[in-house]
Amino acid sequence: MELLSILTPMFFALVAVGTVIGIIFGAIPGMTATMAVAVCLPLTYSLGLENGLALLLGLYVGGISGGLVPAILLNIPGTPSSITTTLDGYPMTQNGEGERALKIGITSSLVGGLISLAALYLFAPALADFAIKFSYIEKFLIIFFALTVMAALSSSLLVGIFSGFLGIFISLIGAYDISRGGNGELRLVPEFLEYYLESGFSLLPVLIGLFGLATILIEAERGMKEGQGLSGVKIGGKPFKISVFKGQIVNLFRSSAIGTFVGILPGVGGSAASILAYSQEKNFSKNPEKFGKGAPEGVIASESANNGLTGGALVPLLSLGIPGDSTTAILIGAFTLQGIQVGPLFIGNNPVTWNAMIIAMLVANIVMFLVMVFAIRHLAKVVTVPKNILFPIILMMCVVGAYTINYGVMFDVWTLLIFGLFGYFAHKVGLEIAPFIIGFILGPSAEIYFVKSLESFGTFSIFFTKSWIAGLLWVLIALSIAFSISVARKKHRIENGSDKP
Amino acid sequence: MSFDSPFNVTIDFSTSHMIFPTIIAVILGILLITILITRGSTMLATVTNGAWWPAGIDHKRFFGTLALTVVYFLAMPSVGDIFPNTGLGFYLCSIPYLFALSTLFLHERSRRTLSIAAANAIIAPSVVWYILSELFNISLP
Repeated sequence: MELLSILTPMFFALVAVGTVIGIIFGAIPGMTATMAVAVCLPLTYSLGLENGLALLLGLYVGGISGGLVPAILLNIPGTPSSITTTLDGYPMTQNGEGERALKIGITSSLVGGLISLAALYLFAPALADFAIKFSYIEKFLIIFFALTVMAALSSSLLVGIFSGFLGIFISLIGAYDISRGGNGELRLVPEFLEYYLESGFSLLPVLIGLFGLATILIEAERGMKEGQGLSGVKIGGKPFKISVFKGQIVNLFRSSAIGTFVGILPGVGGSAASILAYSQEKNFSKNPEKFGKGAPEGVIASESANNGLTGGALVPLLSLGIPGDSTTAILIGAFTLQGIQVGPLFIGNNPVTWNAMIIAMLVANIVMFLVMVFAIRHLAKVVTVPKNILFPIILMMCVVGAYTINYGVMFDVWTLLIFGLFGYFAHKVGLEIAPFIIGFILGPSAEIYFVKSLESFGTFSIFFTKSWIAGLLWVLIALSIAFSISVARKKHRIENGSDKP
Repeated sequence: MSFDSPFNVTIDFSTSHMIFPTIIAVILGILLITILITRGSTMLATVTNGAWWPAGIDHKRFFGTLALTVVYFLAMPSVGDIFPNTGLGFYLCSIPYLFALSTLFLHERSRRTLSIAAANAIIAPSVVWYILSELFNISLP
């Protein structure tokens, strides 16, 4: 009964408002679900715990979902987890199937969100029990597995791995984080930048630079010709039919499950989910060569996985007090504001809040689906604005996003420019941005897990002998590399005409 | 880090911050050499045939965007210092920046397109500044 007293019209209105604002934040390149939650967090002071969470969870689901709009229409991922949506979504738009791609993405998002929500509700304690058994060794191997998998995404295995390791290297710039057990010493930092780079480069300005500014520089280089790219986008074209999901049920469920599972693993959140799901679908596909050229199954895998993350990322947050990704990290702030400690005792001590959160997530997913399906043409209007109007606004918003993420640091704005130029030249020399950014996100965690494992056990062999999970992960890593090499060889043979597909 | 045997290692905490960067740097070096061996000749041919950057790009729009962006970034904190904690550095610099960029990107400059660019340059920063700085109290330069 206590639960019913919380489920007021205000509660549902806040979920809906949060979801709509989240979608808009997600849809504007450079603005993310994380930022939406961060910006609105102060508003929850006066709302009370459940109503505050209703707003924030709506923002979270909406923000993650909205990212597919610019990913599909502009080739700019609105959120990091939409990186793989660009790979097939944008080619579909170029083929005149923009609306179809959007609706495939939206439906997959709904399925991913609902499956992960069911997993969160039914299996949260059991899944958390399993993941908590992972030591640093298994966590390191999972990151290593993610790195090998992301190489499967690249046009060249070698360049993909190089880009990933370059991302890791750049993520190590700054101090070896004391709060995670490091010794606090600076490394790879020039003396004159020590003040600015103590914590390394901030993630968001790096992402905005690589995906926002670099994209605009590439367009500027081409002369900002209207009629190509944005203004040439036709949202209509081939209509969306639910039959596109025929034969994709396995893909939908596998990708949603991957998203949920990756979300559960603390520190391996964000884009790793969609990358893993996408590359698994690509690896299992009978026609992997269609991927990257507008294959609907690519959009399905990516979007069901990144929304699968939403429920999954809440599992470690609510059962262990450890955030599954950056957005749920900010959610901890909402609990702290209300004086609630999130940890193993949270669900048992706060059953009403726990159930209210599940209901908020369910409503947010449904509102997201309805708003995006029925208002997609209005939401997508952003692409009908001429380039000379839209791109300066995007640049300005990039600056706002970079500046505000750490509450007003001008160096973050310069980071945006540095990585914008880096992204531009990486595009020129053929480096792969997706593996780079994954390496950049996972690098600091990989370092802690690797060095701490060696400190504790004093031997490299522990990475092979720690547990059966470690053994299984090595098998998966070997399979992933072997599969990438075989795909690369097959592709090479097809290109040379010696093997007809 | 010292090796007792091929697999066993002892880690000195005071230098532990350099272990992972060193390993990654070595792997990067090996990968780079492998890439150069397998693709070096193709890369050299691309660089030496003269068609490589910055040939064949729109110099005016590319370097114009870069130059305007650098000036914008430099100007924002300077103007912001004149009106501290108001976000006016962002607001006052964004208007000319947006107008200059919009005009630079235009291919056909007519009274109508320039008016749209000018209106956009005034409206967009005003809306963003008002919502973020005034309504949400978010710090802007």
